[in-house]
Amino acid sequence: MNTLTKILIVLLTLSSIFLCGIVVTYVANADNYRQKYNDLRADKDSLSKKVEDFTKQVNEKIEQKRQLEDKLNSEITSLKGEIGELQTNLDNAEREKAALLQKVNSWTSITKDFYQTTDKQGQLLKNTLDELNKVQAEQIRQRKELNETTATLVEKMAIIETLESENKRILEEKAELQKRLDEFLQPVGKIAAEPVPVTPREDIARPAVPGARDIALQGLVTAVDLKNSIASISIGTADGVKEGMRFHVTRGDEFLCDILIIDVDTEEAVGVLELVQQQPKVGDNVSTNL
Amino acid sequence: MSPDGQSRGVKAATSNNLYTIILALAFFAVLATVALVAYKCYTQYGTILKIP
Repeated sequence: MNTLTKILIVLLTLSSIFLCGIVVTYVANADNYRQKYNDLRADKDSLSKKVEDFTKQVNEKIEQKRQLEDKLNSEITSLKGEIGELQTNLDNAEREKAALLQKVNSWTSITKDFYQTTDKQGQLLKNTLDELNKVQAEQIRQRKELNETTATLVEKMAIIETLESENKRILEEKAELQKRLDEFLQPVGKIAAEPVPVTPREDIARPAVPGARDIALQGLVTAVDLKNSIASISIGTADGVKEGMRFHVTRGDEFLCDILIIDVDTEEAVGVLELVQQQPKVGDNVSTNL
Repeated sequence: MSPDGQSRGVKAATSNNLYTIILALAFFAVLATVALVAYKCYTQYGTILKIP
């Protein structure tokens, strides 16, 4: 074996060992591309599945969006219809409002005229009430005068009755005297001449028969409630007081008011104040006749 | 045959054996490398020569 062969053997050996070392190092450190491929494929599959899921979700969302859009479009359409109807109602309401405002204005003027008329009527009523009070006061005064006249008339009637009895007695005496005179003159054939009275005969006034008799109840005011315009008096059913009777309240010769009896007890009666000229007090006189 | 000739024959035989051992070492190194590469290819790709 020559020297060149030896050198080639040594170089071949060294290069083989060197290359084998490089190959071993490379292979030992090489990546497992199959595993990576499988991993990447699995990732791709999962991602594809996710993409499909997301696509399905997107499609569902798109479908839901389309349905929602259709629903909203239908609602918008119906709302537009309602808006049109409400606009029509609003127009009608505006017209009704204008008509009602016109009515309100007319009624306001009517009410104002009514108030003015009411004020005038109230003034007239007040004047009428004043006149009524005056007339009632005049009536009371005239009633008082009538009572006085009636009392005077009764007195005159008593006098007339006395005079009639006297006249009757005189006529009886006249008849007796005429009888005696006739008895005295008839035997001598004479009769008594018709006497001529010195005083000429006058028609006899006939007194009117009183239509009613005054019961003349009298009492005192025992309590006064000016707030409710009622008063109580000291006589009741035991004295002949009845519901509906009217008592006159006087203080001395002054007329104060009337009491219309509304409730009667045995020894007491309660009535409403009427024709109040002055405020009555406890102790004022009450009577059915003035 | 002389002693020198014998001596030279022994030395040549020893030298040839040495280079044979060196060649065998290179061969086994290459063989081990091939075996390792084949094992790696089979374990990782399931085949040795065919492209998966």
